[in-house]
Amino acid sequence: MSDGTIDGPFGSDAVLAGEYVLHLLPPEARRAAEDRLAVDGAFRALVAQWSERFAQLADTVAPVDPPAGIRAALRQAVADARHNERRRRGSVLGRLFAGGLGGLLAAGAAVLFLTVALPRIEPPYSGPLYAAQLQGEDSDLVVQARFDPRDNAITVLRQAGGPAPGRVLELWLIAEGAEGPVSLGVLPEGREVEVDVPDDLAGAIPTGTLAISDEPPGGSPDAAPSGPILAVGAVEDA
Amino acid sequence: MATTTRDDIEAMIARTAQQDRDAFLALYDATSAKLFGVCLRVLDSRPDAEEVLQEVFVKVWRNAGRYSANGLSPMTWLITIARNTAIDRLRARKVVHEDADAVGGLEDKAPGPEAQAIAASQAREIARCLDELDDDRAAAVRGAYLDGQSYQDLSDRFAVPLNTMRTWLRRSLIKLRECLGG
Repeated sequence: MSDGTIDGPFGSDAVLAGEYVLHLLPPEARRAAEDRLAVDGAFRALVAQWSERFAQLADTVAPVDPPAGIRAALRQAVADARHNERRRRGSVLGRLFAGGLGGLLAAGAAVLFLTVALPRIEPPYSGPLYAAQLQGEDSDLVVQARFDPRDNAITVLRQAGGPAPGRVLELWLIAEGAEGPVSLGVLPEGREVEVDVPDDLAGAIPTGTLAISDEPPGGSPDAAPSGPILAVGAVEDA
Repeated sequence: MATTTRDDIEAMIARTAQQDRDAFLALYDATSAKLFGVCLRVLDSRPDAEEVLQEVFVKVWRNAGRYSANGLSPMTWLITIARNTAIDRLRARKVVHEDADAVGGLEDKAPGPEAQAIAASQAREIARCLDELDDDRAAAVRGAYLDGQSYQDLSDRFAVPLNTMRTWLRRSLIKLRECLGG
């Protein structure tokens, strides 16, 4: 318990979870609870239970129509997000890449889409983690990618293989239903590296597919991969 | 809202996760009045609540892909985002100007006739269990959830020492949990 003065039933996790949901914990204790949510499934379940129960109290809150300007501003904001994404994708090259990826996927069982067996990490609004295991048929590259939506960052861990001499690895996102890939950037050197995902792409990661291509230094000169796809894998709940 | 079911809202969230703009706006149309009500209740200020509501829906747009995994019902998920964003704003505001007037306000935050009618028609388990608590203890729990009041706010409002308020709340949580069968 945060103040350490009360033990017994007052110190129980159920009470702590209730205080967390009511937003009664001081900032440090609240952060500690959030850290715990990320790793402790039983505590997460308690928080979810209190969240459901207290949300019923919102029945007593009368709906109030917000001013129309808010809807208009949001409509504009999401339109801009989609426009930027489309521009980045590059339609012609995107389709070329989609063909290449299609071939790779058609290779079937040889291409493995493995979900990494990580503990489920899904605090009610700190969010789950997502993971993808990337590998390919003709390459020894094996990469584990983990996406944390709290800071929109992908941690990429190279488990086997690496870039060819004088070449680099570039990470791509294929959003669900998208025609082609969007570059998430050239992977920095190192076995474990972090890649920041732009805010407007982050929403597509959980249901997307990640791929890694072989590229010249500096990355693909095009909006789509210029070299072979070395590894690919679907993103799953971790 | 009456004609929008839980499944409808879940479907809208799922399509929002695919960057479906129309679904996102449909979700806004179905839920924004409720969430605006929640924000207004916490913040007691229209301009603040309007800013927070916009922030809430930006979060929904960005995080809709995380919804399916979190195990909450869709309205609980949305209300939790709205309430947390509003309380964060409330606490930030208090740091800027510690305003005695911001504390309390029991009367002017009482639900209006419309809200009371809704409450009566949707009397739920949590309300029944709160009724089993002493009146001021139930009011303290409601103040924390609905008005975002802190232990300090509540101790001022009920004129009891901070530690007494902590004990009230924690005992209330234990009783609620027993009553709710958790």
